[in-house]
Amino acid sequence: MRLKQTLAALLIVSTTHVGFIQTAQAAMVGTEAVAQASTARSANDARSQLNDAFARADVQARLQALGVDSRDARERVAALTDDEARRLAGEIDKAPAGGIIEVILFVFFVLLVTDILGFTKVFPFTRSIR
Amino acid sequence: MTAPPGRRRLLAAAGALALGGLAGCASLGATGTAALRSAPPAGLPRRVELGATPFHPQEDYQCGPAALAMALGAAGLATSPEQLARQIFPPGREGTLQIEMLTGARRNGALAIEIPGSLDAMVRETAAGHPVVVLLNLGLSWAPSWHYAVVIGYDLDDGAFLLRSGPLERQVLPFETFERSWARAGNWAFVVLPPGQLAATADEAKTTAALVAFEKTAPPLRAATAYRSALARWPASLTIAMGLGNSLYKASAQPEAEAVFQSAARRHNAAAAWNNLANLLLERGRLREARDAAQKAVALGGPTLDTAQDTLRQIEARLAASASPRRKAPRDRAARR
Repeated sequence: MRLKQTLAALLIVSTTHVGFIQTAQAAMVGTEAVAQASTARSANDARSQLNDAFARADVQARLQALGVDSRDARERVAALTDDEARRLAGEIDKAPAGGIIEVILFVFFVLLVTDILGFTKVFPFTRSIR
Repeated sequence: MTAPPGRRRLLAAAGALALGGLAGCASLGATGTAALRSAPPAGLPRRVELGATPFHPQEDYQCGPAALAMALGAAGLATSPEQLARQIFPPGREGTLQIEMLTGARRNGALAIEIPGSLDAMVRETAAGHPVVVLLNLGLSWAPSWHYAVVIGYDLDDGAFLLRSGPLERQVLPFETFERSWARAGNWAFVVLPPGQLAATADEAKTTAALVAFEKTAPPLRAATAYRSALARWPASLTIAMGLGNSLYKASAQPEAEAVFQSAARRHNAAAAWNNLANLLLERGRLREARDAAQKAVALGGPTLDTAQDTLRQIEARLAASASPRRKAPRDRAARR
């Protein structure tokens, strides 16, 4: 009990302290924010990159082998929010040349899982658990 | 659990990040070697050996700390592998992640800049006097044996790289062998440099990423030194200019920071630069100039709009506060009309 109280007090002090520091410096824009802004791409660029990725012959072949229609993948890309599109395109960017097909498939399965979890509804063959 | 962990598992952690990229690499031919032999980079010596690079023989499986200590030593930031091991080689996980190699270099005061994954870059970098830390896969793609080593030179006539590697102070590795084991580890390499020096082969994006990461933990003046050298090479970079301004500001070198923000704001007409300039001017008590700059930042909008509006509010509050005592003075009022 004693420990909990002390911990709580400590947390309150430390968080208020952090809050204070942030207000004092909030008005400067940090270098990291500038760097991110300059490398950020538009959501449309990201989207077309994702579509290009799914249009690749080797990716289509793999999707087909898994019994998946590549049109499903395209529909899902269209349904992504701007932020999601940018993040997924970023994953593909980060993939080393040899591993890109794995990343694209990974993206596809992320979409599949979010469907099953009920966050999204794109693939007609998934049944949401919600 | 009971059997002594095999070498494969021991170093598996080191390459966990590279693993994703390994599929299909085993069939790669030594195309880089052929290119290097037929057309070596022009203007470079036939043979380079950075003999002054210190040697720390690797203990157990600690190739990461040993390699990093050698590279840091060559950059004039001497440290021991034991000291590094405590930072980047946590007990219980027998290997060093690639990202820990980079943060380990930064924590010891150096910039860690990733370089292109080509033999050409390797030759150029060592010829420029920079030892290169590489990740190699000494095993096979499906049975990896990860290993960090330091390339300290090359010999075009012998067709080999020279390395400090594991227990070997001077390993002569044929170009082909190096190329294959490096390719199986994703062609990953970086140089460790003191602030003020730049990699001979790194591009603007990789250098900028290294600088921004360095700024987070480095003393502000050292970060400023690093940014300044990069700005001389890429004068059109807004991020590098902002990094220099922010570092100088943190180092309380306000006149210098002001000059940097001024020129960045003019050159790029970027909201971030106008905003930071406004804050600096506010701190220096030049409220009207500060307000002009903050208004420009607000007008430009973008992701920094909230911050810029905040800045402008602060400046206007200060302007109002400094104007109110004057209201009582009739002479001042008359003069204003």
